[in-house]
Amino acid sequence: MYRVDINADLNDEDETGYVWTFLDEAREPGQIKPGAIIVAGDEDAAAVCEVIDLTPASDGTIVHLRLLPGLVEDYQALVERALAS
Amino acid sequence: MPGTSERIEERTRLRGEPPPASAALLVRGGPDSAEKLRRHAERTARAWALDGKPLFGISVFAVLDVPLDDLLRRRFTSFRVIYLPTADRLVRHEFELLPTGQRPHFTIRLQRADDSEVERLLTALGAAQPNPQYARSVVWREEG
Repeated sequence: MYRVDINADLNDEDETGYVWTFLDEAREPGQIKPGAIIVAGDEDAAAVCEVIDLTPASDGTIVHLRLLPGLVEDYQALVERALAS
Repeated sequence: MPGTSERIEERTRLRGEPPPASAALLVRGGPDSAEKLRRHAERTARAWALDGKPLFGISVFAVLDVPLDDLLRRRFTSFRVIYLPTADRLVRHEFELLPTGQRPHFTIRLQRADDSEVERLLTALGAAQPNPQYARSVVWREEG
């Protein structure tokens, strides 16, 4: 089970080709900035993503996300490998 | 519930292409539940409108230009399970497919996203099945 930084349906794409969701679905919206690396999705399916941009729309702000390859668990292993003494 | 501010009108953004052939497979990463589908459909309606009305919708991808495994490897490696209904199965359950975003993305249109419609969509999606391309991506893993 994942604890994500921002809730999103990772199936969702708009005409940009990026995953999109609303900024107010983030646990800490202030951390969601272009270039930030975050975990998006839900408790069952999550992915590491790069925040592409934030766009005012409707009654909120749309966040575009680029899916990065690999599982969330892979990044944990990568960091542990890199920091191993 | 979706907000009342102006939404992005989808009608003028739809791709000018016919709906997928009846036998075309649709892919959706899961798992889904009625509550998740409702939440996703309401998120779509918060952002988008169709003909001036909130567009309740759920995203799928059609297997059109590349083989299924290529599409799964390109887009779905973080999903343990997937749904693979045919386009015809969605239509038989009275859902409309809108060519939204970039090909091969489509939006399954719901009218209200109420309990009965969301349950009907769950039925239309069929059983979740293991994704053969789950975790097949390029981050290096040490074996053992």
